[in-house]
Amino acid sequence: MPEPNMKGCKVMDKAALNHNDCRNFIPIDVAKGICNVHQKEILTDGQICPKFDAMPKCKHCANFTEPDEKLIGRCLGFGDNYWTFGELKAAVCEHFRGK
Amino acid sequence: MAKKLVDILEEKGMSLNLQYGGNTPAGLAEREIKKEPHPRAKKLRELYFNALSSVSVEFPYWYTRKYQELEHEIPVVRRAAALKHAFSHITPVIWPGEKLVGGKAAYYRGSFPMPWLSEGFFMAKEDELYQAALSKGGASADEVSKFGAGGGNVTQSFGNVVSIAGKFGIRAEEVPALLKLARTWAGKSVDDLGHKYEQMVPEYSVKEQVMRSVICMFDSGYTLPQGREVINYYYPLQYGYDGLIAMAKERKARVAGRADGDGLIGMDRLYFYESVILVLEGIQAWHLNYAQEARRLASACSDPVQKAEYEEIAECMEWIAHKQPRTFREALQMVYMIHIAVLNEDAISGLSPGRIGQVLYPWFEQDIAAGRTTEEEVLELLECYRVKMTCIDCFASMGVVGGVLSGNTFNNVSLGGLTRDGRSAANRLEMLILEAGMKCETTQPTLSVLYDEKLPEDFLLKAIECNKTGTGYPAWINNRGAMEFLMKQYGPEGMTLEDARAVAIGGCLETSPCIWLELTLNGKKYWVPGGAGQPTSVGVHFIANPKVLELVLFNGFDHRTGEQVLPPHNKKLETYEELWETFKEYYELVVDCLVKTNNIQHDIWRKQNMAVFNSLLKPDCLDKGQHIGNLGYRYNATFNIESCGQINMVNSLAALKKLVYDEKKYTLEDMREAVLNNFGFKTAAEAGSFSLAAQEKRDDADTRFDEIHSDCLKAPKYGNDDPYADSILQEYEEWFCAMCRKFESLYGRPMYSCQISVSTHGAQGAVTLASPDGRLAGTTYADASMSAYPGTDRNGPYALFESACCWDHSQSQNSQMNLKIHPNAVRGISGSRKLLELTRAYLRRGGFHIQYNIVDSNVLKDAQQNPDKYRDLMVRVAGFTQYWVEIGKPIQDEVIARTEYEGV
Repeated sequence: MPEPNMKGCKVMDKAALNHNDCRNFIPIDVAKGICNVHQKEILTDGQICPKFDAMPKCKHCANFTEPDEKLIGRCLGFGDNYWTFGELKAAVCEHFRGK
Repeated sequence: MAKKLVDILEEKGMSLNLQYGGNTPAGLAEREIKKEPHPRAKKLRELYFNALSSVSVEFPYWYTRKYQELEHEIPVVRRAAALKHAFSHITPVIWPGEKLVGGKAAYYRGSFPMPWLSEGFFMAKEDELYQAALSKGGASADEVSKFGAGGGNVTQSFGNVVSIAGKFGIRAEEVPALLKLARTWAGKSVDDLGHKYEQMVPEYSVKEQVMRSVICMFDSGYTLPQGREVINYYYPLQYGYDGLIAMAKERKARVAGRADGDGLIGMDRLYFYESVILVLEGIQAWHLNYAQEARRLASACSDPVQKAEYEEIAECMEWIAHKQPRTFREALQMVYMIHIAVLNEDAISGLSPGRIGQVLYPWFEQDIAAGRTTEEEVLELLECYRVKMTCIDCFASMGVVGGVLSGNTFNNVSLGGLTRDGRSAANRLEMLILEAGMKCETTQPTLSVLYDEKLPEDFLLKAIECNKTGTGYPAWINNRGAMEFLMKQYGPEGMTLEDARAVAIGGCLETSPCIWLELTLNGKKYWVPGGAGQPTSVGVHFIANPKVLELVLFNGFDHRTGEQVLPPHNKKLETYEELWETFKEYYELVVDCLVKTNNIQHDIWRKQNMAVFNSLLKPDCLDKGQHIGNLGYRYNATFNIESCGQINMVNSLAALKKLVYDEKKYTLEDMREAVLNNFGFKTAAEAGSFSLAAQEKRDDADTRFDEIHSDCLKAPKYGNDDPYADSILQEYEEWFCAMCRKFESLYGRPMYSCQISVSTHGAQGAVTLASPDGRLAGTTYADASMSAYPGTDRNGPYALFESACCWDHSQSQNSQMNLKIHPNAVRGISGSRKLLELTRAYLRRGGFHIQYNIVDSNVLKDAQQNPDKYRDLMVRVAGFTQYWVEIGKPIQDEVIARTEYEGV
């Protein structure tokens, strides 16, 4: 079984990732979505596959610092250094800097 | 085994008469009209059926971040900048097969909390913020409100999904951020800041008790501060966003530093125009993010058809981000995005597109004439639009979303009515809107026909055909009655007859002020109608009339909560007149404290949380340079006082008048004792049903209250053309409509009466003891405001109409009548004509509104037992249609119990 492509992931533990971390995942709701590669409905909390393509999220961003145990940390991307959380999607964030 | 009321009555030779005009045939009757959606719409609708109500915190996160950063900015600019930041950063998602794109959040049925309005109710029940909300009384309605267990409602947590407010699911990993956001707003939200100041109202303690006893369902100032209004799409459709930004910049330069004679708010124009520019830039970025996402998907797509569709989406979004739409598709996509943008700006239910078939007609007409599209393509788009609108969820507390809205959001499309110069306004596009509503049966948008004698017969019969699908839409509205109401209410603000003809329905059935604006497309001019007034979801909502009467009987004491709600009146109530006078005094006391406290809530809202995007859409904010809070809208006298359960109240007054005061068969004390003992029956909760017929005797041997209960049930009832009961309704209406006008909104305008129940008749029935009309404790009230209590209309629909029209409906923003008709009663073309004549008969008598559930009650009973077989079953609840499985049991029971007409 080929390994998932972890490019773009700051979090390298693939067990900590689910389909919601993948750019190919089109969420329907909080429990499931559609895999745009395989064109089928899948549960969010499933194991990622070799076609994995990291979704820009704060937890994958170089500007994300000081995460606590709940993955709430600080964002250095904007001038305000405000708090943010690792799961926040950053696909349209102008300051996202992937690894 | 405990005996049921229906069996007890049967033994006595009394019937609750849940059918009229025959008996329900055995078996399950199919609906006569059944059509299939376009395959694309069908697939997207299946996706909806399979989707859970889901919330994300993206929008509130980005909003809060910018808001915090701009602590020292002018409030309207601060809010606009926060909105821009949020719109610019929410993740665009495009689902496979979509032609129309966009959404409130990155889920198919997505929504999000707005903690800047209220943050306490969605915390865990043990949390201090939740407890604080409960102690204010604001969360009391949550405790008695119920959601349906099926459909997309996330009633319980599972796996990595956490249930909020009994309806919405959130990913567990987002919960810490949600709680952090909520705490950021603690003490600063409209709810909290309003609470600080409302406590300065001398009658505040009464208000707190009123909320705890659920005499009032909710504070409108921070739960749903806008809505039940008609949106206006004109300005972006006419000028495009680039044009509007240019206009705002030019006007900003013109007013900067000038008061122009207005020393109070003249200078505010500068800040408003600045905020308009900011918000529009955010809206543009939001559109362009979708375009970018469509391009990304297109680049990764190998299917040429799907790839081309993604590219078309990108081109459409790129164009309408800047310019006036060129085609019907672009115009439809634009109005959908405008709609969602307003809903993302504030917590809103009842944002109605208005007469969208007339607004979009210019593009339809020109595209068809030029061969750019076909009616089949337009129909497909209209069906897709239905699915997108159905996906709209409104995030609010359980009491509001469950107890009031039944999960619905009331996006009402009005059809028909008159043109500016008084001709029929029905058009070919509206016929297609009706057809789309029949082919793609979904709850949104619901439809309303503005019935006027000038409307053509083929259009009316098409609407009747739509009724026969059993979807519950269109509702039928008395166009002339609505215009009459508008002229009375908005005449002092300059409403003309021409503009009264632009009327449309906001929310379920709130008559809303609109105006005509001239639209130019490719050099051709069209007058299009659109909203021009403040929301009508504002004011006092909803007062439980039977509960007020209960307090009159018990000297202001609520036996359910064990609290003294209103100051004791200490009257002996020796005459009916004294009883009636005391009822009015108590009612006005309740209204008075709620008006004052809600005015404060709304005042905080307009100062801290004013609409910017919705403001700029409506006349005359862009011209005046003032937002809604500074009376930028053309019409501002929209605050209302809403009642609930008035038919049970009328029937109870009739029973008291006859049995206690006229015949003197019982004393008031006898009646009190019977009511307190629930006439010897179990409570509705104990019986597991909320309809009267299914109630069970507590102890078969206890016959103490049997006679008085029989007499109460036999007492005169509304809905039978019986002057004894109807004169009470008439007296009530004359007092109520005039009483509402004595109160003044924060905008210094007179309030008015609004008579719809939405779903509050379930929650408010649940908190009410038995009533003197024979209704039992905890059971749901009669629905609407003109519907008879189930089983009590014994003389047929025309007698019901006579009762309902014993007063002048144009004194009120609305009234509401629901009828349930067996499908067999209106089969075939002759059945359609009978239904149209029935409709006409009511509206010609002066009834404001009538709508139909054309459904076999046996089907509803089967659906209650086997919900999995009925995911797509829809019923008309109040002024809206909802999926059966998403409705709470109290309302399901009430819909089943409604009198079913086997013949009309």
